Amino acid sequence: MSVMTCADARSQFWLLEYGELSFDEEERVETHLDACADCRAAFEREKEVYAAFNTAAAEPPPSLLRQCRAELASRLESEEHSPAPDARRVFSGWWEQFTHALTGGFILRPAGALAMLVLGFAGARFMPNFLNSPAAGVTEAGMNRVRDVKAAANGQIQILVDETRQRTLAGGLDDSRIRGLLLEAAKDPSDAGLRQQSLSLLNAHAQSADIRDALIYALQHDQNAGVRLNAMTGLKAFAAEPEVRGALSQTLLSDPNPGIRMQAIDLLTQDSATNMDRQMVGTLQELMLREDNEYLRQRSQKILEAINASTEIY
Amino acid sequence: MARETGLDVQIDETALIRAAQQGDHDAFERLVRAYDQSVLRLAMNLLRSPEDARDVYQEAFLRVHRNLHSFRFDCSFHTWLYRIVTNLCLDQIRKRKVRKEEATVVATGEGPLDRLDAVAEQRADTDPERRLFSGQLRRRIKEVLNNLTPRERMVFELRHYQGLRLKQIGEILGTSEEAAKNCLFRATQKMRAALGDFV
Ligand SMILES: [Zn+2]
Repeated sequence: MSVMTCADARSQFWLLEYGELSFDEEERVETHLDACADCRAAFEREKEVYAAFNTAAAEPPPSLLRQCRAELASRLESEEHSPAPDARRVFSGWWEQFTHALTGGFILRPAGALAMLVLGFAGARFMPNFLNSPAAGVTEAGMNRVRDVKAAANGQIQILVDETRQRTLAGGLDDSRIRGLLLEAAKDPSDAGLRQQSLSLLNAHAQSADIRDALIYALQHDQNAGVRLNAMTGLKAFAAEPEVRGALSQTLLSDPNPGIRMQAIDLLTQDSATNMDRQMVGTLQELMLREDNEYLRQRSQKILEAINASTEIY
Repeated sequence: MARETGLDVQIDETALIRAAQQGDHDAFERLVRAYDQSVLRLAMNLLRSPEDARDVYQEAFLRVHRNLHSFRFDCSFHTWLYRIVTNLCLDQIRKRKVRKEEATVVATGEGPLDRLDAVAEQRADTDPERRLFSGQLRRRIKEVLNNLTPRERMVFELRHYQGLRLKQIGEILGTSEEAAKNCLFRATQKMRAALGDFV
């Protein structure tokens, strides 16, 4: 271990103070401190400096914390329990409870003829007040976000502001703008609640191929179980369509959520024997091999037995 | 509580996050409560305005709530949360720098609840000479803190007041441990230089 000079040792004081030296580095500095009274004194002074920094630390008053918690609770409440009772419940009883438990109370919005969509973005509230004040000359701005600031050559300040206006569009699903925006919102990766509501609106129109595609896409790709479940609601009436059956079969075999697999098997077998083609039998036989949920295994076994198919793959 | 790293606590937190992802309100609230005090303290200390700290608190946890479903456990929840919080705070500090230069718009500087003054009251020094001294010291610290760049300020805050390791600070701020270390070095150098004749 090479000998450390005083200057070397002192250059490490701040890291020693913060405990950010490696074991070996710390050993070297401390070995030097043991042998050097000057540096020991210097390190004591250094500690006083850091202690002085500490006088600047403060806890926020408890009242502020309480206020913040209360405000957050009420804002979460209003985000989740937005109005609108579900006008067209397809399933009932345990299904609703299950949906509610799974989605944490996302409300399935009514799918009326009129679809309203509000476009905005999450960060919008976090705005400097002055941007919205008359003094700053952007009174008309709806939603702003400062993207960049810099000093311009003439001593002025240049501020690059993203403006996002909130606009309400109203129209039926036959309106291509509404339809396009809804299909887009149904895939918005940042907002499960928005996807959920969009799908609820689209569900009533799954007779259209583009909407059915969107529902299938959500069923197969959405990360939120509640959204996938909701997509199945719209596909229920089309469970006999080949592409829907394919998607449901895949869901039955690979969705991580057992509740969703249960719903998939329900939809796949709702028309009893008519749809018990060879492919379906194959799917159920494969399910017997990989499924570890007892209910689903029994269910699958019963169906296979009922149609005299083997419960094993030959 | 928030900084315990025992295995039990981690398992517990993972379970909480998963439950909250499935829409369990209680789980979400417990998650918030595990961290919200340090989030508020960070925002208060950085922004030194209760109003701004409150805004950051609300916006941060609303974003967490909206985006929790996409949290994939690639990093710790603490790191993920602090990424959101530090971004909001940095935005706000940068905006404020602009605001400060708009002299006509903002009449007074900081909010009423200045942490330095609050501490001064707590200590309530009786020795007048010492009181004068600590008053000057606080003003000086405040001055230096204000003159740090937003990033230096953030790293110093996270390391010195929140006690986070440089490695985690790097993860939070999307940079290397080395860069965070350099940033902290600059900050402490500036602080030390400014306090040289006081301490
Ligand atoms: Zn020495």
